Amino acid sequence: MHVLMMSLYAAIAAVVLAAVDPKSDTTRQRLVHGLKIFGSFLGIGLLLSWVLFPVPW
Amino acid sequence: MQPTEGLRDEIGTNYADGSFAFDEPSPASFARRAAVVVAAWLLPGAGHLLLGRYGRAALFFITITGAFVLGMSLEGRLFWPTVAEPPSTFHFDLITILWFFAQIGSGLCYLVSYALGFGTAPHPEAATFEYGNTFMFLAGLLNYLVVHDAFDIAAGRKR
Repeated sequence: MHVLMMSLYAAIAAVVLAAVDPKSDTTRQRLVHGLKIFGSFLGIGLLLSWVLFPVPW
Repeated sequence: MQPTEGLRDEIGTNYADGSFAFDEPSPASFARRAAVVVAAWLLPGAGHLLLGRYGRAALFFITITGAFVLGMSLEGRLFWPTVAEPPSTFHFDLITILWFFAQIGSGLCYLVSYALGFGTAPHPEAATFEYGNTFMFLAGLLNYLVVHDAFDIAAGRKR
């Protein structure tokens, strides 16, 4: 459930952020940019969860 | 191999005599820019629709409205500024103002839901309550970006 929600959140945010990116001129550039954002959201989320897992509070 | 004699730089020649012009975006009038911004805020994607960016308009409508509806279906609630308890120097509870600001960005999604009473009775006991709130915040905050993007296009700063 957590990972599914995180993935959905990342996908929605990545689509919109890539579409409004002023530096991307072509659809391909937007697609690559969106995939980078999506991957960053997931990667950083998983990394944070792994780092914070032992924290007791 | 094609001989280069007799060939000329068509772009350079045409550019020099003014017959070759780049398709630069031109700024819209103030009234049109205002209409675009208001439409973009009220209905996600409507600003881009007015500007003829049909693909992006559909994309923004589906993603942002979808995020709001998803949040609502996950038992998210609508926030509005509430009076601080116990009373403080600042009349309103600051966090509810921030949450309200995030959600009201989704325009009619928030206003219609509020008018119909959807999400006005919070269910914090639901397992997905916080997920729902987060998706509704996301919808509103992303729509602020979309409004800004629509304004930039209308102002001729962006294609």
